[in-house]
Amino acid sequence: MNMKDLPDKELFTSGHTACPGCAAPIVVRNVMKILGEKTLVYNPACCLLVFGGTYPWVAWEVPYHHVAFENTGACATGMTRALKRMDRDDCTVLGMAGDGGTADIGFQALSGAAERNEDILYLMYDNEAYMNTGIQRSGATPFGAWTTTTPAGKVIGGKEQFKKDVAQIMLAHAVPYVATANLAYPADFLRKVEKAKNMKGFRFLQVYSPCPTGWRADTDSAIKLSKMAVETGLWTQWEADHGVVKINAKPKFTPIRDYLKLQGRFAHMTDEQIDVLQEWVKKKWERDEKWLGALSE
Amino acid sequence: MFEVRFHGRGGQGAVMAAQALASAAFREDKYAVAFPFFGAERRGAPVLAFARVHDTKIYEKTQVYTPDYVVVLDDKLPQLVDVTAGLKEGGMVILNTREQPDEVELPTAVRCGAVDATGVALEVFGQPITNSAILGAFAKATGELSIEAVEQGIRDIFGPRIGEKKAEKNAEAARVAYERTEAGTCKAGKALDASKKWLPDVHDQPMGLATRKTETEAGLVGIGSFCENKTGSWRTFKPEYDADKCIMCQQCWFYCPDAAIKRNDERSLVSWDFDYCKGCGICASVCPVDAIKMERE
Amino acid sequence: MVKRVVTGNYAAAHGAKISRAEFVAAYPITPQTFIVEHISEFVNDGEMDCDFVRMESEHSAMSAMVSAAATGVRTFTATASQGLALMHEILFIGAAIRLPLVMPVVNRTVAAPIGIWAEYNDTMPQRDTGWMQVYVEDNQEVLDMVLQAYRIAENRDVLLPMMVNLDAFILSHTVEPVDLYGYEEADKFLPKYEPHVHLLPEDPMAIGTFTPPEYIQELRYQTDAAMEASKKVIGEVNKEFADLFGRDYGGLIEEYRTDDAEVVLVTLGTVTSTARKVVDDLREEGKAVGLVKLRFFRPYPTDELRAIADRVKAVGIYDRSIAFNNGGPSFIEAKSALYGYTIPIVNFLAGIGGRDVFYSDVKLMFETLLEAASKGEAEKDVIWMSTRGVDA
Repeated sequence: MNMKDLPDKELFTSGHTACPGCAAPIVVRNVMKILGEKTLVYNPACCLLVFGGTYPWVAWEVPYHHVAFENTGACATGMTRALKRMDRDDCTVLGMAGDGGTADIGFQALSGAAERNEDILYLMYDNEAYMNTGIQRSGATPFGAWTTTTPAGKVIGGKEQFKKDVAQIMLAHAVPYVATANLAYPADFLRKVEKAKNMKGFRFLQVYSPCPTGWRADTDSAIKLSKMAVETGLWTQWEADHGVVKINAKPKFTPIRDYLKLQGRFAHMTDEQIDVLQEWVKKKWERDEKWLGALSE
Repeated sequence: MFEVRFHGRGGQGAVMAAQALASAAFREDKYAVAFPFFGAERRGAPVLAFARVHDTKIYEKTQVYTPDYVVVLDDKLPQLVDVTAGLKEGGMVILNTREQPDEVELPTAVRCGAVDATGVALEVFGQPITNSAILGAFAKATGELSIEAVEQGIRDIFGPRIGEKKAEKNAEAARVAYERTEAGTCKAGKALDASKKWLPDVHDQPMGLATRKTETEAGLVGIGSFCENKTGSWRTFKPEYDADKCIMCQQCWFYCPDAAIKRNDERSLVSWDFDYCKGCGICASVCPVDAIKMERE
Repeated sequence: MVKRVVTGNYAAAHGAKISRAEFVAAYPITPQTFIVEHISEFVNDGEMDCDFVRMESEHSAMSAMVSAAATGVRTFTATASQGLALMHEILFIGAAIRLPLVMPVVNRTVAAPIGIWAEYNDTMPQRDTGWMQVYVEDNQEVLDMVLQAYRIAENRDVLLPMMVNLDAFILSHTVEPVDLYGYEEADKFLPKYEPHVHLLPEDPMAIGTFTPPEYIQELRYQTDAAMEASKKVIGEVNKEFADLFGRDYGGLIEEYRTDDAEVVLVTLGTVTSTARKVVDDLREEGKAVGLVKLRFFRPYPTDELRAIADRVKAVGIYDRSIAFNNGGPSFIEAKSALYGYTIPIVNFLAGIGGRDVFYSDVKLMFETLLEAASKGEAEKDVIWMSTRGVDA
């Protein structure tokens, strides 16, 4: 489905309280346009929980469910299995969680659901920190980034570890579909969502989701940053259909400095730190090309 | 004791202003507390913060419902929310406005302090951040605190957050605003529609809060009801659209986080729903032909 | 009627089967493991038509239970001890969104030190989660209460989840004769599941929305009212069950030889059986002692206990766990229920960590109560039985 063919009807309504310029609602509305009304949504504790509803108001037009923070894989399991018991094979169960709820506290439930190959579409919207609680580092926060738990202090400046690659860990679960996606590449993004929709079993999408508030960036910068993340090589666009990998875009390796300087979260970084991150991008790409490349046809 | 309610937007620093006021009072040997609205509002949304000042320890633990003073950081807010709500008899509203006190229109005629806090902030440190300047206006208009104490309170609270140099600039802004503040009585203008809240009793509240889309006397609740929340009030910049330039690519529609852009029936030109547009500017940033420009409201 | 000697764990699994639980999500933990294994066998042999998900933790098991029930099916799980502690967070949620979940809990000591024997420090701390709790005495009661639990939990005036608590090893691993009635009998008692909520696109509902204070206090009131309403339903279900199956458990409590008793001991779980025998023996000696089997801990039988306290001179409360510094949890509840009474109320702590409770222990409890009754006061409120270096 291309952009112009997407239906007008919004299944995630206006009036939600995401910060201006947040990319997550862009992801949600367009994903829901593809998945359609026969979708059951599970949402753990995350920004999307809060901006998607404050009782008695809810933005979702489809069955919507929340239980806790660390259990998206488990709750979505309950939903998809119950549907099966009720002879409903016409619905999609969407688990949509942030990077904290996916890479960190929710990882066990995610891994369990993937191992059982539950019939779930799991979408990780990756805004690279715990934004709901006010910008604390997650396993998916990049090296050097300021967060409120990795402050730019006098001795230590920002996060000391590198970003955890959740999609590659999911690839190791040998599930039907794993992909990374990015809003700056809408055709690729929509194609992946549609592909995931039309498959059975466990499908994992990791979507880059800029957070202007937490990244200390302009409210209009989400799509620009999305594109730069791919062009610099910080974000690798790839997919694995039943274990067969395709890298969807080769980075241009534009200097990460241009990307970093648009975001206050990197403002404190020293030249040495930037060099470390630049080197990491190089190594990451070499590894991606080698590992992911080996699994391509 | 006097009680203060601050009106701002998420990200404007209303809480810091309340804290600085408390610290200023403490510097004058008072007992003071300051706290945010107990909630989870996002950047840009109208928010509240509160302060109480007393000669002895304060035992009140609720939010402030009947303030002696109301401090408004954002010049657009008085058109959106009734800032005089609950104001005590003889109370005062301190406004960020270019108007003179007697030119200001509020739902009721009340004592009013006025200063162009945005202008002062831009003049002193080049950014439209009003949470320090408005405190200077508070000191002048109410006479409750000395300007010296307010400056010190700003240093106390802003210093650790933004550095001493910037804190000093904020203290200076308070001093400049203090000198320019006028006091008087405002005009009684149009009453704002009081927002209705659905408050079912224990017999009518849905069990476990499992809620379908339901029409109530206070509007829609449950599934798909967040459209009741008009987020257009968050906007400070507004998209200006040049239909002649538009090439109907629909990218603005696709990328709008708030689903505030509508495609018309012929799938050609687009229009905005300003009830929901938060003014993030993503539409302008993705427009390939510069058909959209962001203008200050 | 098919009577066979089976374990308490088997009885629990059989209960899940004949209750036609459609969805089971579980994680094995000693001493509950055999429940999960039996269900696996039932399912793999085609005897039980359900979707059984072998989860990766108890936390996930309870999460899947909640979401499957919210979607619209009858659910079952079982756990014990650390597993229940891991579920703790989600227990609140299942109750607050009013789902009729049913879960046997094999009562086992919670670490540290790590042990696998009976203690109630796993279930007692779940008091405020909103779950109903029944403590059972033998394997027949395990089965019967699993079936009854669905009827009570699914009642439209209740809609709260329920734990069926059985003692580790003393029931879970002990075989004894149980009437293992089948689907036909069970179907007469427990109708097909009709969910009161669902997650279906033709009638979408939001279940679990972020909620401000304006609605939470009313929700808690409703849950509290449902817990109160469950008392009547428990009595009705007990009666209907007794009419159909010939076994009357008494509802919230069972009284044993209390009619002219001067003192009563309030027990939970398997110690009740021990106490029955002691009551019989002491009655032989002419002592006016009686027994109250506290079946339900939530809802709590306040009125029933007060009615008994009206006619006795001392009340003893048995506890198999300690709420540090204020006696056992059952004692604390009883004292609260018996507010205003001046008769001695004495707490006996025994069997903690799975230690056996002997006739001699229970006999000593009754003797202590009789002495307190005659004096009109007790020497001590809280008595640690058979504890080395501590005077009983």
